Amino acid sequence: MSGRRVDAKVVLLGQEGVGKSSLVERCAHRRFRPGPYQNTIGAAFVAKVMTVGDQTVTLGIWDTAGSERYEAMSRIYYRGARAAIVCYDLTDSGSYQRAKFWVNELQNCEEGCRIYLCGTKSDLLEEDRRKRGVDFHDVQDYADEIKADLFETSSKTGQSVDELFQKVAEDYVNFSAFQVMTEDKAVNLDQRNSPYFYSCCHH
Amino acid sequence: MAADVHKKKSWEVPNGSLAPGDGQHAERSESPTPGLAQGTEPGAGQEGAMFVHTRSYEDLTSPEDGAAVARSPEERRGEPAEQSSMEQISKDFSELSTQLTGIALDLEEEMRPGKEGKLEPSPQTNRRDSVLSGKEEEDVTMDAWRMHRKHVFVLSEAGKPVYSRYGSEEALSSTMGVMMALVSFLEAEKNAIRSIHADGYKVVFVRRSPLVLVAVARTQQSEQEIAHELLYIYYQILSLLTWTQLNHIFQQKQNYDLRRLLAGSERITDNLLDLMAHDPSFLMGAVRCLPLAASVRDAVSSSLQQAKAKSLVFSILLSGNQLVSLVRKKDQFLHPIDLHLLFNLISSSSSFREGEAWTPICLPKFNSSGFFHAHISYLEQEMDLCLLLVSTDREDFFTVSDCKRRFQERLRRRGVHHALQEALRTPFYSVAQVGIPDLRHFIYKSKSSGLFTSPEIEAPYVQEEEKERLLGLYQYLHSRAHNSSRPLKNIYFTGPRENLLAWVTNAFELYVCYSPLGTKAGAINAVNKLMKWIRKEEDRLFILTPQTY
Repeated sequence: MSGRRVDAKVVLLGQEGVGKSSLVERCAHRRFRPGPYQNTIGAAFVAKVMTVGDQTVTLGIWDTAGSERYEAMSRIYYRGARAAIVCYDLTDSGSYQRAKFWVNELQNCEEGCRIYLCGTKSDLLEEDRRKRGVDFHDVQDYADEIKADLFETSSKTGQSVDELFQKVAEDYVNFSAFQVMTEDKAVNLDQRNSPYFYSCCHH
Repeated sequence: MAADVHKKKSWEVPNGSLAPGDGQHAERSESPTPGLAQGTEPGAGQEGAMFVHTRSYEDLTSPEDGAAVARSPEERRGEPAEQSSMEQISKDFSELSTQLTGIALDLEEEMRPGKEGKLEPSPQTNRRDSVLSGKEEEDVTMDAWRMHRKHVFVLSEAGKPVYSRYGSEEALSSTMGVMMALVSFLEAEKNAIRSIHADGYKVVFVRRSPLVLVAVARTQQSEQEIAHELLYIYYQILSLLTWTQLNHIFQQKQNYDLRRLLAGSERITDNLLDLMAHDPSFLMGAVRCLPLAASVRDAVSSSLQQAKAKSLVFSILLSGNQLVSLVRKKDQFLHPIDLHLLFNLISSSSSFREGEAWTPICLPKFNSSGFFHAHISYLEQEMDLCLLLVSTDREDFFTVSDCKRRFQERLRRRGVHHALQEALRTPFYSVAQVGIPDLRHFIYKSKSSGLFTSPEIEAPYVQEEEKERLLGLYQYLHSRAHNSSRPLKNIYFTGPRENLLAWVTNAFELYVCYSPLGTKAGAINAVNKLMKWIRKEEDRLFILTPQTY
């Protein structure tokens, strides 16, 4: 799934409720909605134009649903992605384990995809340090191991959100200069088969 | 196709008069008599329908493919449980003739304002705010929980909770265990439990393997109607998972906890139940159109039609829960139930307001084994106009997204944007426009088009309970009119607070609510006037020229 009007496909992955949609909302509309939680249905697409030096880059951001229901077909959303922002909730260690699942998935299926680990809801830690459920250094070590960048963001205050997306855009510009476009050329038959009839290898 | 659109426009009824403009429409504009044939009633489409034809309760009378309880009607008739409830119903009906003035005393009793009114929690309280944050669920041991008017439970055949409208599923697992035990106990005898009537409650069971759906209601609805609502819940679950996947999962693992897969969808199901209590669409099995000048609607439809793509099956433009336009692939028809599920999906989540959504969706009445992919977006931030593009190809997002862009461009070029905005400002019309003093409200459904029209509910039905009570009256008339053992064509009901009339023919269904001071003769007179008015306004209230790509 690639489009002409988009330079780089960026996908957000992570357990439900970690705040992927809020992150996109902050990045695209510069706002935060405290209201009741609304789970994303399927996935939502937003195009965001970024400036890197004297270039403009259009990021096609896919905000995916975290629900397990969509897992079997999540590949259609991250196939061909140049960057994946894998989110976890800084106060919830379970969501960090889930993030590792997504990293493995990406490493197996999308080699050309750069990974950005993103710990969300950092404002909650400012209120109370003891709320931290995921150790910063552990994640930093893991990020080094998988060659990922690490950010800790707050969509509520806006902390590090712009930096995150700016870095995604910059990396795209810097790396794509050396890279031939390989997007969507072949189907890898070794890919994990979907557990359901909805096969993820179907092209 | 485009030619047809223009042809239509030449037909304009001069204000008030029903004089046909030309020969072609003579039969159409003839006075609407009871003998009206299907396809010529007000609101009937000129080139066939958009929807699959449906009958009331058809799903309850024709068993689902693959359902466990696929038994012949003969077999069912022999069931003792069925018989006793039938006896009850026929007893009710023995008091009923087609001229019902003042008869349904049982109803009056039923319709009395709830004696327990004080204890009733409002339907909005205690809704789950979040599926994640600590589940602010109700305590199922409290009286408030017991006092809800309608509980709905979904469980697996292993007796595992799947969904509960109120209270957490965990806390109810033993209750659901008992429900499953009841179902199994009767099935062991090669029988099936359909309902229990006790103490003002109706407990209705619907079995759609691998799920069991149960409602515990003290509303005035008939058993059939409650079962019909349960089926909607079943279809709602199918629309998220597909029938194939649902069955596959339980074949693999009988005691699977389906809540894992349905996580986050509780809101959609909750919303569907709330919607069914307010919106007559579900009762009528039909779709309401946004009132719109025919020329504007035609322009919208043809813009939608031109913005097509190979993988598109349906393009649907809607506002609130009203249809603005629907364009479909040739030979592909949408079922009203599927469209209702789409309406519900959109109204239950604000997440579609941002960006463009691309989501797998199963339309269970169209095909319960596979997913479509739906592109869902609002045309403008502040405008309540949602565009749904249903595609067969999940890889086709950008093509479909481009269809949206082309559609918007065409709308702008045709200059109907402003007219649309204007129409959205008054999404409902007032019953006063009909010009019948005693008329309070009505629902008119054209059977051949699957569309219905209804004015805004106005005073004295201002409060939520009053609105629900009015819908309850319509539900009552509908269930009597469509009772499978003794259907009725005409019903006149005099109640303490309003008089109602129902008229069901092969071509249309009409339910009318009058002030309590009118007479029956007046009511019948008014029906003729009302039918003439609907005929005059039909090109605004209905979609007469449905389009295909």
